[in-house]
Amino acid sequence: MGVTSTVVEAFQAIVGSAGVLHERDALHVYESDGFPIARGLPTLVVFPVSTEQVARCVKAAAAHGLPLIPRGSGTGLAGGAVAFGGGVIVSTSRMTGIESIDVANRVAVAQAGVRNAALSQAVAATPGGTHLHFSPDPSSQAASTVGGNAATNAGGVNTLKHGVTSTHVLGVELVLPDGSIIQTGGGSLYDHVGPDLTGLLCGSEGTLGIITRIWCRLVPRPRHFRTIYAVFDSSYDACKTVADVIADGITPTSMEMMDGAMIRAVEDAFHYGFPTTAQALLLMEIDGIDQVLDEQLARCVALCRDNRATDVQQCADAAKRAELWSARKRAFGAIGRISHSYCTQDACIPRSKLPEAIEHICKLGEDVGMAITNVFHAGDGNVHPIMLFDEDDHEQVQQTLALSERILEYCISLGGTITGEHGVGVEKLHLMHKMFTPDTIGAFQRIKRAFDPDGRINEGKLIPSDRVKIELLRPTAPNIPGGALAAH
Amino acid sequence: MTHHARTNATSPVHARHADDVIAAVQHAVRTGVPLVDYGRDHAGLGHPPPATYTRLEREGDVLEHDVRDLVVRADAGCTLGRLQAALAEANQFLPIDADDNLTLAELVDHNVYGPLRVGYGALRDLLLGMSFVDGEGRLVTVGGRTVKNVAGYDVTKLLVGGLGELGVITELTLRTVTIPPATQIVDLEVAEPQQLDDFQTDWLTADAAPAWAVLVFDHGACVVRVGYHGTPSACHAQLRSLETLCDQMTDVRIAATDEYGFDEDSRERAAARAWRPEIPALVKVIVPPASTGFVCQSLALTPTAEPARQLEAYPFHGCIYVGGTLNAEQARRLDAQIVHVIEPVDGLRIWHRRPRGAEDIEPFPPANAQWPVLLRVKRALDPHGILNPGRYLPVQDEPR
Repeated sequence: MGVTSTVVEAFQAIVGSAGVLHERDALHVYESDGFPIARGLPTLVVFPVSTEQVARCVKAAAAHGLPLIPRGSGTGLAGGAVAFGGGVIVSTSRMTGIESIDVANRVAVAQAGVRNAALSQAVAATPGGTHLHFSPDPSSQAASTVGGNAATNAGGVNTLKHGVTSTHVLGVELVLPDGSIIQTGGGSLYDHVGPDLTGLLCGSEGTLGIITRIWCRLVPRPRHFRTIYAVFDSSYDACKTVADVIADGITPTSMEMMDGAMIRAVEDAFHYGFPTTAQALLLMEIDGIDQVLDEQLARCVALCRDNRATDVQQCADAAKRAELWSARKRAFGAIGRISHSYCTQDACIPRSKLPEAIEHICKLGEDVGMAITNVFHAGDGNVHPIMLFDEDDHEQVQQTLALSERILEYCISLGGTITGEHGVGVEKLHLMHKMFTPDTIGAFQRIKRAFDPDGRINEGKLIPSDRVKIELLRPTAPNIPGGALAAH
Repeated sequence: MTHHARTNATSPVHARHADDVIAAVQHAVRTGVPLVDYGRDHAGLGHPPPATYTRLEREGDVLEHDVRDLVVRADAGCTLGRLQAALAEANQFLPIDADDNLTLAELVDHNVYGPLRVGYGALRDLLLGMSFVDGEGRLVTVGGRTVKNVAGYDVTKLLVGGLGELGVITELTLRTVTIPPATQIVDLEVAEPQQLDDFQTDWLTADAAPAWAVLVFDHGACVVRVGYHGTPSACHAQLRSLETLCDQMTDVRIAATDEYGFDEDSRERAAARAWRPEIPALVKVIVPPASTGFVCQSLALTPTAEPARQLEAYPFHGCIYVGGTLNAEQARRLDAQIVHVIEPVDGLRIWHRRPRGAEDIEPFPPANAQWPVLLRVKRALDPHGILNPGRYLPVQDEPR
């Protein structure tokens, strides 16, 4: 979509010339997020620094008939921040003010563009705040913003014990699609009156408005840990250990799992000393009172052994712990050594179904000759099967999308969900009808209209729309993913 | 909006399954007679029902308890007591403080929580999924039975505290917790409740962080009763940590400690709220947590010649219940005093029960900028305005 100088000038008048990108080369940086199959070139990218500027940008976009796409730092994994068919990307990445850190009430007020990790660092540096933090810890936390975390209700490895983002958001400031500004929640209050709009907005993927400010609940930062590393000859045994630990009444901070292919990829890339013949590695961490952690540790170790772990190691040492976690966090980076491209799924299933599910998912890949490897949040039942393919091979791209669909349908059949933490975006939109009844989809659509009657903001994402339908692959140009087709 | 002091309830409709609720809602739409369910303990919360209405009464049971996944599914009309009894058979419980005879629907509609919120979170953190019937009789099912789920809008959370205005909840899926093997209850005597305000964060970030905490006044003395849950050695370690913390404080001392079984622990928490159900004047006050002690100290002072006030607070969440056997004039004085005390800290108050003659006291804080959105959401889910109309949000005359 071309852009006239009048439009550019209208936005420059709000955010300054340095706050508007409109040249094609510059816009290419913003054509996708962390889901590279979905691509679309925005008309403009604007970088407001205040809520008032966001509100004026929203009104300007409406005046010029341009759709709006909110974006944090673009680490989303479902295509939710992509401007299909043009539109104005409103990037909150320059809204980086931490406005207050109230240690006594355990609340920080941050602009939406504050990076997740930066917030906790600032809290720790505040007098009295050493032992507090903002708990959500998505893998992207060094780059992702608190606004993006709230908009996607981001998870992470610690959510098993400490909860997802919405647990830690007391309220938000939101610019509505008509440019008006509301605040949900009661500032530093931990309770409110009436329906929980904050809860609704967390995870709404920028389809109801643009989150500009967050009241973040700060919680005690765990200080004492024990980390267990257990190796198994089968994924089944490792998954059963996960279910057994939870059923035993222990809630670890995190329980992460890698399958054999992923262990080998990580070992080949980074040389941690993992046994390359193992079929599963379970990384488990517990936090709590130092004096009693060893009791829980012993119980977890016993459950690993009961499930035929071939090697169980434990550590309380900070350096060794950091090394083990770096292996987990670098797992996705290691995939580049074994595949040209990859696509990861994000289904969540009841934990007790994990042992059968992981085996079945790998079988689905084998059936179509596609390699699948797994690294995932086992304690949450949040599986991340990673399909390895070549994005330049149109047939493989199609095969990947089809396999993704089969995996997600299978997870739904187990009582699971199509997405545990990455969101629906455009990637899983076509599966919403399999997950929800028409009446439920209808309720979602009516809620969307209550906020955005004209469909101005992120229309066609998260919930099916009768106004905008986004196709991931254009039939006429299979090598150019992305594109939006107006349905009516 | 018109509210009627005298109301005319038709015979109640008893609903157990979603189909019963769908039929009741469709009947309400056809006849224009609203469906009202304010719950048992929350009947005085909010503006009164319209002149004519049909009362909805709920019943139900536990539907499925997945012991290994620590997840339970139940009818919304199932009572908390029935649910806890079923969970206890598998050594689990739902960590929510409320009377046993309240239904799960009432708990969710009113976002009920108590002292256990410190250690286990609130209902919004325990709810995994729900089904509800909207104001046109459509069954909506959101969330699920997994511990993480971001598919679609989180309407589950939207309905928490929704006062039954957005939908009639028919079924809930909740996380459960294993009953702790040991519990320890500690009474802290606090000379000045305000002392707690600066002490909270240090307390929570130490090993002494409790599973539950409640502030009460016992014969005029401020007592913070806390509970520890865990293994016996964990409870002892936490008690030692608390003793160390108290040594650093002036005028805060451990008055008593007791090791109880879990049933006794539950009874102690219930005892702290036992004064509430029958009292004619009851207000919930919400303030920033670090103002709880200060506000409690102010509100605990009963004016001369008035019945003694009762007060119970959850200091880590800034929640205070205050009330008494007050007449209308005394209730108005209490309201004025609350407003005076909470205004500087941006607090709010919700009247749960106003004495006869004091209906002019506004039950809620004044409308704010989010109300137009809330009204549109109400219209989206209840276009005919037949679900608890006017209880919180003003009745909308404008046609859809």
